[in-house]
Amino acid sequence: MGLLALGTALEWPEAKKKAPQVRQWGIEQLLANWNRAKGKERDALLWGDEVEYLVVALDDGERKSRLSLAQADILKSLARDEALWKTGSCNNNNNSEHDGEDPPHFHPEFGRFMLEATPGRPWGIGFKDLLKVESNMKWRREVAKAHMASNEFPITLTTFPRLGTKDDYIQPYYPPSGPALRSQFVPDEIANPHIRFPTLAANIRSRRGRKVELNVPIFKDANTPRPFKDPTVNYDLHKWPEDDDVRNGAAKDDHVYMDAMAFGMGSCCLQITFQAKNMTEGRRLYDQLSPLGPILLALTAATPIYKGFLVDTDVRWNQIGGAVDDRTREELGEAPLKNDRWRIPKSRYASNSTYISQDPRLRKEYLDPDLVVDEGIKKRLMDGGMDELLATHFAHLFIRDPLVIFSEDLEELDVNKADHFENLQSTNWQHMRFKPPPPESDIGWRVEFRSMEIQITDFENAAFSIFIVLITRAILSFDLSFYIPISRTTENMETAHARNAVLDQKFYFRKDPFPRRAPKNAPLPNGASAFSSATSSAVNTPPPSPPLGPVESEYELMTIADIVNGCSDGSFPGLIPLVESYLNSVNVDVETRCFLATYLDLIRKRADGTLWTGARWIREFVAKHPSYKHDSVVSEEICYDLVKAVEEMTGKEGQQGSVGWEMLRGRKT
Amino acid sequence: MKLILSTSNIMKGGRPSVIRQPPTQKSNIELINSLHSNFLASQQPDTNGESNTNGSTNGSHPPPSTAWTLQGDDALYIPAIDFSQPGLAEERDQYDITVKLFYLPGIPVSRRCAHTREAIDLVLKELHVESIDLLIVSFPGILFDADDDSEEEESSSDQEADDFDSMVQTWRVLESLQEKGMIAQLGVAEFGSERLTRFLPHTKVKPSVDQINLKDCCVVPKSLILYAKQEHIQLLTHNDCNDILPVGTTRELLGPADKGAGILASSPDEKDGIQGDVEPQWVVKYTAVVKDRGVVENKGYFALADVGTCVKGRS
Repeated sequence: MGLLALGTALEWPEAKKKAPQVRQWGIEQLLANWNRAKGKERDALLWGDEVEYLVVALDDGERKSRLSLAQADILKSLARDEALWKTGSCNNNNNSEHDGEDPPHFHPEFGRFMLEATPGRPWGIGFKDLLKVESNMKWRREVAKAHMASNEFPITLTTFPRLGTKDDYIQPYYPPSGPALRSQFVPDEIANPHIRFPTLAANIRSRRGRKVELNVPIFKDANTPRPFKDPTVNYDLHKWPEDDDVRNGAAKDDHVYMDAMAFGMGSCCLQITFQAKNMTEGRRLYDQLSPLGPILLALTAATPIYKGFLVDTDVRWNQIGGAVDDRTREELGEAPLKNDRWRIPKSRYASNSTYISQDPRLRKEYLDPDLVVDEGIKKRLMDGGMDELLATHFAHLFIRDPLVIFSEDLEELDVNKADHFENLQSTNWQHMRFKPPPPESDIGWRVEFRSMEIQITDFENAAFSIFIVLITRAILSFDLSFYIPISRTTENMETAHARNAVLDQKFYFRKDPFPRRAPKNAPLPNGASAFSSATSSAVNTPPPSPPLGPVESEYELMTIADIVNGCSDGSFPGLIPLVESYLNSVNVDVETRCFLATYLDLIRKRADGTLWTGARWIREFVAKHPSYKHDSVVSEEICYDLVKAVEEMTGKEGQQGSVGWEMLRGRKT
Repeated sequence: MKLILSTSNIMKGGRPSVIRQPPTQKSNIELINSLHSNFLASQQPDTNGESNTNGSTNGSHPPPSTAWTLQGDDALYIPAIDFSQPGLAEERDQYDITVKLFYLPGIPVSRRCAHTREAIDLVLKELHVESIDLLIVSFPGILFDADDDSEEEESSSDQEADDFDSMVQTWRVLESLQEKGMIAQLGVAEFGSERLTRFLPHTKVKPSVDQINLKDCCVVPKSLILYAKQEHIQLLTHNDCNDILPVGTTRELLGPADKGAGILASSPDEKDGIQGDVEPQWVVKYTAVVKDRGVVENKGYFALADVGTCVKGRS
């Protein structure tokens, strides 16, 4: 999350009145920027990873682990060092391993117990760069750690297992139930104090008309009460009107109930952003990576605990969706439409709903037939020269209201900026994001892949980051198509939540990713056809010959093992064999190939079950803990031991039978 | 008669080279499959017209070979190649072009000069470029064994092993092409450290690259790593086998019946195609990668085979 300038943030009733103006100005900024940047060409591949950390404080005396709210101090101290690095007056970078690398960047996040770190400079495709990713991630962790108290650690669990429990799980301690979040579980102080964040949380709640509502199914162990009624819910609070929510049935039986943005936006993710060669390539990557979102979500599953309970889902995704769901009852379809404009099927944080590539293989049938778009905005964009596919995409994102508006920004429209556009764009948290070049910069068209869960070790985080980079190169080199109807991707996203989905579930996936052989007198060999015209079969349909079969015959349900490693009957080749085949077509030096082999091996074995996902490892850790009573409760003691084990694992990485070997090595020696 | 077999751009040809197999296993499946599918595709009637409603060619006979091959001055192109098509989408300096030339077992060293020219000329013509960035040559009979710490490179048989002098002799040809500016860098394949140590003093232009196949990626003899580092030779990986186009495979590919292209007779004396022995001479693989984007834009193979009266005695 980038930070906006400070100013006077409008409360919801005021913000709501200004929403149409912000949308309109945002669209004018988008059009101006699109016109400026649509011809931008030949940008190099640059990419970056974002790693997010929880800051935990370990109390070895009491055997307790708590979240540390020291974000501001840590960031201040980090910023001081970064400034010193820049002026070159600081020589404490005595780590020669990182010679020539810029010091990492650290950023605040929603949670005051979180940090985000990115490489100091984006990565290229030079294979030597790929080798630096893991060591750079480790460096970031060391740098972050160096700015923390000796008992504080940056760990990469997606969520803190006991966030929102009754005990003192934060340090310093604040009691819950503040005016912004009105949560009965977490205090307002859990959020970054920058005005943007409490305003965001308050306006989501206010727009929605009640608190956000997260119900995650409990994992039913032998001694779990049936029915399970979340024992941490207090039905007798009368401080805020929203305290009525639970008396009106917000907390459901057999579920763990949570009521604040912090339960979702306090999760750590692994996000990768790519710079494309031009807009055409960016649109293509946006489309082709989209079906991979749910697959990578299931492969990286690492979130089996909420609020001190084992739950029956493995990933964070829907909890974040629920945590920022600002839809009203009318928009949700729970009340007849009177004041609102439309029913909206998904949260602002959800799987994406559009395809945008001008690819002749994009069939009408793949698009969402029920996509909600703002027709006025779509018309304005098309009148401004934008093609229908892209105009539809943005007119869909702009059905939302801007949540945080600063009154100072509403005085004059500046089309050389993108602040109003970004207000909507960056609060549409879909699993893919298509990013126009920021005005007045050299940056090109970019695509962000957002579904992956953060992994406990940097070895895994590097492996998944690099895997996605290599997949994009294979997509572009082999001209692959992973198109399926986008509603199937939405279904896959739900499927990915199931406990052990990586091994137990099947996902819709395209059977044949290869292009049809080009006609003999094909025009240009490489993708050139893609920018030859503004029409595509999804918009303007003379079907390519020979005629295509029914869409349903193009895809089927596959296991993740089949999707990643290939079907044994040879039908789908497999993502890893595609990547290997790409690597066999380029000059890769021996050392790099060995490194890449260990990364690809991790992913191959996660997919076939030889290695455990983080979610499975955490479940097994809890199940085997001597104090676990098989009642789904993850006690303070278990949480402490778990966090200790995770911290140990970030260093030893499961080598020689150390903790986590089942997830990282597959053998004890 | 000379036969020039080609795959066209296999990156865009559908089902190209992706085969589910252990990643480091050597194979010529990519070459064989892509030749086969290029022959098939070329036998189809043009698909870019608006007609062709019943699409399939089920039951119908393949067209006569004259419809899809081309008799050039000195060679039969299988399939016909239209060199007027542009080879690369962007400007030359955007690309790294790597070419790997496989000298085949049993072919006299005396022909290599001509073969090298032929192969490179075809690649330059196909890609519409004037030079290549890296030429790697693969000599027959050399097998690098990463597991073998003794550093003995085995020859598949004494008869086929390329002797050292002939390698040096071949290298002279490559050096002269490099001097002319046709090739920026030269490389070898499957050389162990002993062979490199012996070879280097005989070269004017040192190999910049040694391409090795690794059965298990992380076993590379230390001596080779050290020597390569000292001599600034980059160790690259590959998974090609070096007898990439055996005679039997060639006849199968080009012969009659279901599997073949219907060019050659089923055996040298049969009358169901071109008669006489077939003898593959060389195979060349080319790859054009967009440098700062890592995208493989064009990759393909050419192979040259002699057939019939053209097959020269092996001296």
